[in-house]
Amino acid sequence: MSDLDKSIAQLKACRPIPEKDVRELCYKARELLIEEGNVVSVDAPVTICGDIHGQFHDLMELFRVGGPCPDTAYLFMGDFVDRGFYSLESFLLLLCLKVRYPDRITLIRGNHESRQITTVYGFYDECMRKYGSANVWRYCCEVFDYLALGALVMGAATDLQPTDTSTADGNSQATMPSDSDDIEIEILNSAGQVLSRFSRARQNNSQDQSQAPNPSSSPSQQTPQRNGAPGTGASASSRGSSGNPGGAVLCVHGGLSPLIDTLDKIRLLDRKQEVPHEGAMCDLLWSDPDEIDGWGLSPRGAGFLFGADIVKCFNHKNDLSLICRAHQLVMEGFKEMFDSSIVTVWSAPNYCYRCGNVAAILELGEDGSNAGYAPRANGDMNRSNGILAERQELRMGPGRRYRVFEAAPQDSRGMPAKKPVADYFL
Amino acid sequence: MAQAQHAQQPQSPPSPPSPAPHERKRVKVYELKNNDWYDRGTGFCSGQLLGGMPENPDARIVVVSEDDTERVLLETRISKDDGYQKQQDTLIVWTEVNGVDMALSFQEADGCSGVWGFVNEVQQRLNALAGPDDGLSDDILDPVQAIILPEPELGKLDEVEQAIRAASATPNSREALVKSMVAFISSPGSEPGPSYIMRLGALVEAAEKAHSVEDLHRLCNIIKHLILLNDTSLIEHVVSNEAIQGVVGALEYDPDFPSHKANHRQYLADTSKFKQVVPITNAEVVRKIHTTYRLLYLKDVVLARILDDPTFSVLNSLIFFYQVDVVNYLQGDADFLRELFGIFRDPPPPPSGDSNAPAGAEDDDQQSPKGTRRPLPTPDRVHEPQSGSAPGRDRKKDAVLFIRDCCAIAKNIQAQSRASLFQNFISHGLFSVITYALRHHEASVRVAGTDVLVALIDHDPGLVRNYCFQALQHKHKDPSKSGSEGPLTDTLIELLLVEVDLGVKSQMADAIKILLDPNSANGMDMLARQANAEILAKRAGQQGHGPGQQHGPGPQTPPQTDTFIQDFYEHSAMRLFKPLMDLAQRGVSGMKTLSVQETSLYTHLVEILCFFVRQHTYRSKLFILAQNLHSRIAQLLACPQKHMRLTALKWFRVCVSLQDEFHNRQLIQHRLFEPILAIVEETQPRDNLLNSACLDLFEYIKREGVKQLILHLAETYRDRLLRLTYVSLFELIVQRYDQFQAGYVPSSANGLDDSSFTTQEGTPRVVNGRQAFSGLREMDNDEEAYFDDIEDDEEVGLPIADGKGERGLPNGAASPAKPLVNYPEDEDEDAMDILASSPDREGGVIRKTFSSDEIAAAATDADAPGEDAMEVDSTSPSTQDHAERGRGRDRRPVPLEGSPGKRASASPPAEPPLPVKRRRNDEDEDELGMLMGGSKRRNSAASLASQTHHIELDGSVSPSLPKAADSPSEKEKQDLSVRSPPQTQTLQAKLQPQPALKRRGSLKTRNQGSSDGKFIVKPIALAAHAHAHAHATARGSGDGGNGNGDGTGKVQEGDG
Repeated sequence: MSDLDKSIAQLKACRPIPEKDVRELCYKARELLIEEGNVVSVDAPVTICGDIHGQFHDLMELFRVGGPCPDTAYLFMGDFVDRGFYSLESFLLLLCLKVRYPDRITLIRGNHESRQITTVYGFYDECMRKYGSANVWRYCCEVFDYLALGALVMGAATDLQPTDTSTADGNSQATMPSDSDDIEIEILNSAGQVLSRFSRARQNNSQDQSQAPNPSSSPSQQTPQRNGAPGTGASASSRGSSGNPGGAVLCVHGGLSPLIDTLDKIRLLDRKQEVPHEGAMCDLLWSDPDEIDGWGLSPRGAGFLFGADIVKCFNHKNDLSLICRAHQLVMEGFKEMFDSSIVTVWSAPNYCYRCGNVAAILELGEDGSNAGYAPRANGDMNRSNGILAERQELRMGPGRRYRVFEAAPQDSRGMPAKKPVADYFL
Repeated sequence: MAQAQHAQQPQSPPSPPSPAPHERKRVKVYELKNNDWYDRGTGFCSGQLLGGMPENPDARIVVVSEDDTERVLLETRISKDDGYQKQQDTLIVWTEVNGVDMALSFQEADGCSGVWGFVNEVQQRLNALAGPDDGLSDDILDPVQAIILPEPELGKLDEVEQAIRAASATPNSREALVKSMVAFISSPGSEPGPSYIMRLGALVEAAEKAHSVEDLHRLCNIIKHLILLNDTSLIEHVVSNEAIQGVVGALEYDPDFPSHKANHRQYLADTSKFKQVVPITNAEVVRKIHTTYRLLYLKDVVLARILDDPTFSVLNSLIFFYQVDVVNYLQGDADFLRELFGIFRDPPPPPSGDSNAPAGAEDDDQQSPKGTRRPLPTPDRVHEPQSGSAPGRDRKKDAVLFIRDCCAIAKNIQAQSRASLFQNFISHGLFSVITYALRHHEASVRVAGTDVLVALIDHDPGLVRNYCFQALQHKHKDPSKSGSEGPLTDTLIELLLVEVDLGVKSQMADAIKILLDPNSANGMDMLARQANAEILAKRAGQQGHGPGQQHGPGPQTPPQTDTFIQDFYEHSAMRLFKPLMDLAQRGVSGMKTLSVQETSLYTHLVEILCFFVRQHTYRSKLFILAQNLHSRIAQLLACPQKHMRLTALKWFRVCVSLQDEFHNRQLIQHRLFEPILAIVEETQPRDNLLNSACLDLFEYIKREGVKQLILHLAETYRDRLLRLTYVSLFELIVQRYDQFQAGYVPSSANGLDDSSFTTQEGTPRVVNGRQAFSGLREMDNDEEAYFDDIEDDEEVGLPIADGKGERGLPNGAASPAKPLVNYPEDEDEDAMDILASSPDREGGVIRKTFSSDEIAAAATDADAPGEDAMEVDSTSPSTQDHAERGRGRDRRPVPLEGSPGKRASASPPAEPPLPVKRRRNDEDEDELGMLMGGSKRRNSAASLASQTHHIELDGSVSPSLPKAADSPSEKEKQDLSVRSPPQTQTLQAKLQPQPALKRRGSLKTRNQGSSDGKFIVKPIALAAHAHAHAHATARGSGDGGNGNGDGTGKVQEGDG
């Protein structure tokens, strides 16, 4: 068993590893992260997770629901630390996994991965408490500076292979799309049972895609017959995401920046720095979507609010089908907005141990098309005619499988508490 | 009466056949059960005085059933508690002493007011009685006052729980509840017995013996409930010596974790955790220390999960006040302090150590035992030669940790107490303790030492500098004596260089930075300290932007700080940066073998230097240039450790952003861009951090138009630059050079437009009304003066001229107009130019230099919605020509005609007056526009919203780049170079004769339907073609300067 595996085992038991191991780990992680671009490419299939916030036991629950790490590829969209009582263990575990399985787990930076924020919201105190000095905090903060700012998921399947498990409520499935439909959204509970399922609105020109497509006229032949589950935009009227189908999925902690109109511009940032108070890097980590037109001031005091028009323009311009972000608590665990052009994923159930929310992770399947470069038909004539250039115009949003889960059972986690100070003079 | 309110109000009784006699008021009796009013029957109510002293009447309300006059429905004694309420004329509601809510519903308002009057009267008498007594103890002991709770017994716990819950429903009863919880019940004639809480706590053991998990869980719930009542006196009682064990015992059995049991009791009972270096004699203080500890334990461990915000803050404020008390006591106890600091003086081989008065001045401390430690510490130093005994060492270590704890607590207390604490500490020899700690062989002690030092600096950097300063004077006076015992900075430097613990090392590096930060005068900001140098520097930089504010040791810095810093550069800097200077001997090959320790040291040194070069611009410049540190740091670019190279890159990024001619000159002279370019070439195919950092650097040079560097880069590395086609950046640099060579001298260095992006660090901007944090300050005046004569002849073309120009503005230094990002101005063809609507783009548009005739126009345009302006552009042929030239958006006063090929011939004639409308394109060239920019930005949100609506769609002739090349989804895997056109193509495009394009009119089709968020997608097949076309168009637009070539191939409108 390598040192790394030992560390992983120890951290999985929620026990911190020695300071020198943390240092080694952070140095290794640094070397790895330097090689990553500001926007990391990730191939589907991948499971996308939102904020963790030091809720270690819920992170373990996440791995239980989503599958163990090397088996399932993960993408964590930042905010690993602060608020919860186990920021250190949570972050170090993720970092260990990153170093151990670099290709199977991607970590990007959240607004809490910053010196200033962690001093206020708990991570600094936690490190002081657990190690008696700020050294470990410093090592971790240095790693924060190296974390990528975003990720781009490519090759995500446009529809899901239906899970052949029972449904949660067990009632008749009249409202569920039949298996022959393309499933766009599927919502599962933590036991893997289907809570609801939505088929994609089909386009009527599936037989002659060579014609210039016109999304605005695409009728929806089969709208889902039931309104969307809480958090989905998949109401009967939204027709799923017919807007700009099939591109890549951008994952970023906060949202868009008025300074970034193309993904390439993210590349020109020197990200190795403390999260600035403003500017593109700040915005990517701090912004929020909102029901407004254009850009707005953010009540957070950093970043911006951005509306549906901004998202749609950005997605179109960058050939994205979806922006996936975290950063905001959503009681249902996930929330699709703006005709499913952006989704918030939140992975800290019962946030702060008292918010009562559920958490979600988002699974994007693999489209079997070799990351989008050589699409091939897979029996579904609607999917592709094999001509990349034209298919691009028709690409649909990725099939999205949300697994919703609740906080880890109390018993499995022990009593959440901060570690008490050891000796004291005063 | 919260419950009464949300429960149903009792119904009035049915109408009786006849009015009852006056004495007998017909009434219905209700009792609140399970949140529901339970009807106990109807009867007749009377007030009765059952004797007792006249001044202490036993007055009761009695209700006799109307059916059976023998049956008493209610008999309750009126207490002086004010828990009686009259509601709706016919209702009287109160809470019984046992916590049960009762209500009387009268048939008639008369009857109600009669009884109400009786109650009031009795209460007045009762209160008159209570008045003269000492209220508190009486209240507590008064059995009438206290809520009667069931006896705390194992069998009755559910009753207890219910009663407590019921009693906590209203503020009044809650208060009574708290009183009865904490009151020490005295049975007559005996000692005060245990309080209710203590008796509950005692049940824990009983329940444990009985193995009654149920009772234990119930006890836990009761205690939790009580604590969450959020009452200070209750919490204080809970953490008292008597109650704490029982309370945390109960909390060990949390029903939420049925299979777990905590061991709080054991933890808290273990008093060995409490250490005393010097025994504290005051028992009260010791008690407070323990109490604080328990409170912390409660807050962090026991209750961490269930604490709500109010209780959390109650706990915090309790802790705070206790700590203040303790610290205040300690710092006022001279004996204690003497003994504490005496630990460090113990066996006194150098007689001076002890013979001096302990409370002596700092000089005295300087000569205390440490003075004998001549040799430089080594990593494995085990000094403390005098105090050989291990216990002595341990004691010293503990004393250091103790002092560290004091200082840590002091951070939270009021500035005044803190000041006097530090003052007392210092007078007892705090500095010698720090020096001792910093040299300790245990890393934890060294950490504690730096903690103390940093706390001290945070509190008042002047204090520390003052001390160092005195030590310095002392040294100068008597150099033979002080030896290696230089000022604290020297100690820090020595230790930084030899420190092996990487964590301590970085803390020492931070301490050096703060100590030498001329702007840290306020020093209060903990956040800034804990942030890295970057933040510190930025903060300082921001401060430096104030009109009168100088950076570096300017007039505003206290003279002492100034001297201090000067001394640093005279004496210490050489020592601090010696390892960097020694790199010269290692050569490039030596870079391959850097150890972890070495890279760590170099990283810190370079970071410190980055900090200094921004903070002490002038002094550090002399030092850096004299020592040729640029070349040394450039060596680090060759080392294999990428993080080391990143750090070195950061250095050059900082230097370049200073836009300092002398730094730049040295960079040029030593060809230091060569290794940076090499990194770009090496990492080009990979999109990694190193590559991005390099791009960021070049992007800055290009965006800011640092002419000196652009000339150098293009002249020296032209071919190499042109080979780097995976981003347009390098091509644009060459283009910029070509423009310079063509004789065009931009009146503003900021005139570059580009379609790429970078964070702008040079100047602050205002976003959302917030003042930006920005990296750099302009030159300060004396510095400027220093270099003035040299600069004069070059100033016109130099970038720094820009900064000066800004300063000349009325609100110059605060001028917010410089954008974070320079947005591409030529992207009007782009279909989805989100940027066109971005605030920063507007900002970007603004900060240019201008021909004065455009001021008015700019002012007008600033108010004009973008759409209007564009419409004019596209529909007014007469302005088209101008528009195109204007779109050159070089902010050149003189738009050049035609293609770049013809550029040379375009000598700068005066710019023809331009129609007002087309200034829209050029408003950005106006200084005034710059000013306007601020306000424009601030109010831009609204206009932004509208602007985003008219996102323009390309027609089929869209000159946009191929989508495929543009697509992020492809970019990772494809050869990046295909994304931008081969250089030759670009050049050809440049040379094409300029078609008389009317870009706005002919190429851009505004699709009004586009605002609904649906977009017409450009056919891919056209892409390649369109790409070339785009270039042609861009070149054709008149200036050839920078028309295009961005990797994304956008040609963006200047003012969307």
